[in-house]
Amino acid sequence: MSSTLRNIVVIVTLTLMVVGLAVVLTVGGFGFSLPPHNVRALATIFLNTTLNLDANYRYVSAMSPEAVTAIVWDYRGLDTLFETSVMFIAIVGALAISRGATEKLLKTSPPVLGMSLITKTITRITIVMILAVGASIALHGHLTPGGGFQGGATIAVVPMLLIIIFSIYLFSKMITIYKAVTLRSVGLIGIALSSFIVLIIAALYGGSAYIFQNQPKLHSHYGLPSYAEPILLGGTLLFFNVFETLAVAFGFAALFILFTIPEDAVKSAIMGEE
Amino acid sequence: MEVESFLFNIVILSMFVNMAIALYGIFTRPSLIKKIISLTIFSDTVNTLAIVVGFRHAIPNPIPPVVVEIPPSSQYLRLFVSRAVDPLPQALVLTAIVIGLAVVLFLMFTTLQIYRIYGTTDVRKVSKLRG
Repeated sequence: MSSTLRNIVVIVTLTLMVVGLAVVLTVGGFGFSLPPHNVRALATIFLNTTLNLDANYRYVSAMSPEAVTAIVWDYRGLDTLFETSVMFIAIVGALAISRGATEKLLKTSPPVLGMSLITKTITRITIVMILAVGASIALHGHLTPGGGFQGGATIAVVPMLLIIIFSIYLFSKMITIYKAVTLRSVGLIGIALSSFIVLIIAALYGGSAYIFQNQPKLHSHYGLPSYAEPILLGGTLLFFNVFETLAVAFGFAALFILFTIPEDAVKSAIMGEE
Repeated sequence: MEVESFLFNIVILSMFVNMAIALYGIFTRPSLIKKIISLTIFSDTVNTLAIVVGFRHAIPNPIPPVVVEIPPSSQYLRLFVSRAVDPLPQALVLTAIVIGLAVVLFLMFTTLQIYRIYGTTDVRKVSKLRG
């Protein structure tokens, strides 16, 4: 009886929420009618300065034709670094929960496992293609839509396929979970070091620069080369994308291993000591 | 323009309804797995809403925020600024996806551990357990 009453209360509340939000939308409570004719003033600034060789804008431009990459790795800077480390902390938490189970996994060596020969052959072919597409998305991150996170998530399909098709035992012999977490840490450290590149260059020349500075700014005229006549090099954005790909791809690999550890191995690891 | 505006309002309204359904799942379903599924539906809906808010009306059509003429002439840049959609919500949603992934991951591991230790994911049974 009380659960029915609770259900009714929840449904009425949620219906009121939808009606309220709809009313807010109708009377223009979001500050615009849809679709808006103009973007916000902030977006106009970003769009205008994302790639602008004009002398007035040269010292505020991110020199990346892709505005989203420019915002994520240049205008927003350190925020993105900490955002990347949030997932790292989630992985560390997961490792702490299933501690000891991966060592047990390596000790057991069952007979030949995995799917049929056809599936294995097809997987061997597609893995190369997936890696190529992921690398293309990641390395062109400063030129076209895409970037480190998207490319890394694409590459992360490969460990998933290997685990499903060739079994977790074989995969955890190729990449142990500690190796995956170490490589992810290498990616994160690479991101942190790339943010200091311009500062190091400026220190060598006796000038000053900002952390996470991609291009020359008003009071510090240092930066990595970003534009050689026909080609856009992207400055530090390329380094950020490469290291982010490494971090995300191996982060996912570690997670897939953790999620697919057989139940009895985990159970014996959790309950065994008691 | 009127038809476009009408269709946009329908899309937004359906997103509000979708949010309400996802919240209903979070509040009333007893299974932790179903709660997590509802949570992902909710976060995806909110992300899509943020993307739609960054959309704009441009003639003849809006373009993605990517400069394709290199080096850009000032004439091209003026056209670009007047037609490109807002890149800021897209960058924020990229962040939101990563953070949401980490949150879902943590919840999934906690649920898996609850299932391994107590043998159930029903919150009514889990809340009655002692020790």
